[in-house]
Amino acid sequence: MAEVLTTAPDKLSPSAAQPMNTLGAWELPEELRMLREVTRQFMEEEVRPVEDTLPHDCFKLPPEKLLPLQEKAKKLGLWCVESPAEYGGAGLNLLGQAVVAEEGSRCKMGAYIRACGAFSHDPPNVIFLATPQQIKTYALPTMEGRRKAFVAISEPSGGSDPARAIRTRAVRKGDRYVINGTKTWITDAGNCDWGILFARTGELGDRGGITCFIVDSNTPGISFRRIPVIRAYSPYEIHFIDAEIPAENRIGEEGQGFRVAEKWLVHGRVPYAAGVIGVAQLALEMAIEWVKQRETFGAKLATRQAIQFMIADSEMELEAARLLTYKAAWEGDLGHDNKIAASIAKLMATETAGRVVDRCVQMFGGMGVAQEMPLERWYREMRVKRLGEGPSEVQRMVVARSLLGDAARTSR
Amino acid sequence: MKALVAVKRVVDFNVKVRVKADKSGVETAGVKMSMNPFDEIGVEEALRLKEKGAVEEVVAVSLGVAQCQETIRTALAMGADRGILVETDAELQPLAVAKLLKAVVLEEKPGLVILGKQAIDDDCNQTGQMLAALLGWPQATFASKLVIADGHAEVTREVDGGLETIRIVLPAILTTDLRLNEPRYASLPNIMKAKRKPIATVTPESLGVDVAPRLKTLKVEEPPKRQGGKKVGSVAELVDKLKNEARVI
Repeated sequence: MAEVLTTAPDKLSPSAAQPMNTLGAWELPEELRMLREVTRQFMEEEVRPVEDTLPHDCFKLPPEKLLPLQEKAKKLGLWCVESPAEYGGAGLNLLGQAVVAEEGSRCKMGAYIRACGAFSHDPPNVIFLATPQQIKTYALPTMEGRRKAFVAISEPSGGSDPARAIRTRAVRKGDRYVINGTKTWITDAGNCDWGILFARTGELGDRGGITCFIVDSNTPGISFRRIPVIRAYSPYEIHFIDAEIPAENRIGEEGQGFRVAEKWLVHGRVPYAAGVIGVAQLALEMAIEWVKQRETFGAKLATRQAIQFMIADSEMELEAARLLTYKAAWEGDLGHDNKIAASIAKLMATETAGRVVDRCVQMFGGMGVAQEMPLERWYREMRVKRLGEGPSEVQRMVVARSLLGDAARTSR
Repeated sequence: MKALVAVKRVVDFNVKVRVKADKSGVETAGVKMSMNPFDEIGVEEALRLKEKGAVEEVVAVSLGVAQCQETIRTALAMGADRGILVETDAELQPLAVAKLLKAVVLEEKPGLVILGKQAIDDDCNQTGQMLAALLGWPQATFASKLVIADGHAEVTREVDGGLETIRIVLPAILTTDLRLNEPRYASLPNIMKAKRKPIATVTPESLGVDVAPRLKTLKVEEPPKRQGGKKVGSVAELVDKLKNEARVI
């Protein structure tokens, strides 16, 4: 299905018959507009009514509520939307993933659990580079929702600079690797059955010294510790003490891990950006409804210029972030290197979403910070979004380095 | 048997419509448009008949501007097999639509034509009945249940006094009521398939139909703003106000 959805480049090149015809260039393809419509309808009619019955900080649906939703979503093909079609995923291209991520995030737990898990969970995409047997053992049960997976890159020594920060060691011993070290900020790891681990097999500071592995959570020598943070959906610290894993659990060759990780990170930034836009857009829509009703000093809030400016700025900024996200997706779908575009999108989307949700809290007043409204929760979660998947400063660094080249680097 | 379903492009039911400044109609520029909800029910019923084996092909037809293609595409994404667009920029009134549909029916020879009982924009509730009259076919309007068997349709109709069940011979015209079914969502694979399904385009001229309006819209106005309520102190005061202020008794 992926190839069908790829944006047709011929639409964008000037043709002799229609010179200068750029109509349609700023619009999603018709099938993605339809997909957006269906996803939005599914969220409004099926997902949100179920989620409304759950507590403020919930991040999973009880099975008796989740399973019927998953069954409906699967029938619609809204299933593991970021995974390849040959393994049962929707096989959407990046632009399609962005559309579903934005719409699927339009719910209380949407910032982290899209559609409350109705679309199931995509396994970390590097698993599809593993052997057919490993895909069968690890990826497929995860897509079916029977197993969960984490991705472990960050360490106490840092996360955005894995070439230097990764100190967890994997030492080959016969047909096994022995792992020692600590990973941290690994989202939901304590509830996962397996994960992708990036560990050092080469020299410290060497970009080529990182290797990618599959690890089972129940391997002796692996332990998890929850780190309570600003949001309810917790990250974990993972300790490896002489944990032995089979050598065949290595993905790719020794030293290829960093290349694998980078592609995964760049692509992941697109749905990440789209997701926070979805949350902020929903917050803005709620604020718009509220200011039309709320009266202060004898007039509706909507008549106040201070409020109008907040609404207008939020709309403008969200639209800008959305178009930049689409551009990052589109570049990736055309097969171009979209690293810079993805950094721009991730930075713009998360900073914008943070600002927009903050303004919405302001417009709602006390209700904005009450736990009866999802705004309070989104406000906390949007703060984390500026740190996760590479903080804003690292995204800026990526952009700056691409413009400044060597001049941006400090002498060593 | 072939089922022909008429699908109209209307202002989305969620949109709060606004009257144009010159009172000639409602604003549609920059407004979200969707398939008429009663027509969605029509598409769904046709698809269910196909799934039951009572119908072999479902054809969606829309009439109006080029963008009606999107409405047809929505029907195709739900599962209809192909589409026909009668393209025109002219204003189409129910009689013109019925005449155009008659021309399409004579061409396509469906065993069943399904329409919404009315469109949520003009609420005319005329097209299905007019089409039945023009074709000389039986009609079952306001259907809330449909059973097809032995060349007949048994239709339960929602009428003022309750439910009426009638049996009509096919080919026939059916118009849908709200409770006939709950339309499905378009699935992702069907959305992708819809791209490749054919939509034929014809025009009123090519069908030889005169679509000139027979009715003239004088003006379109918003309903009057609701006045605020009042509290009264006693029954006597209430009666007095009803008599002298509201002048209803």
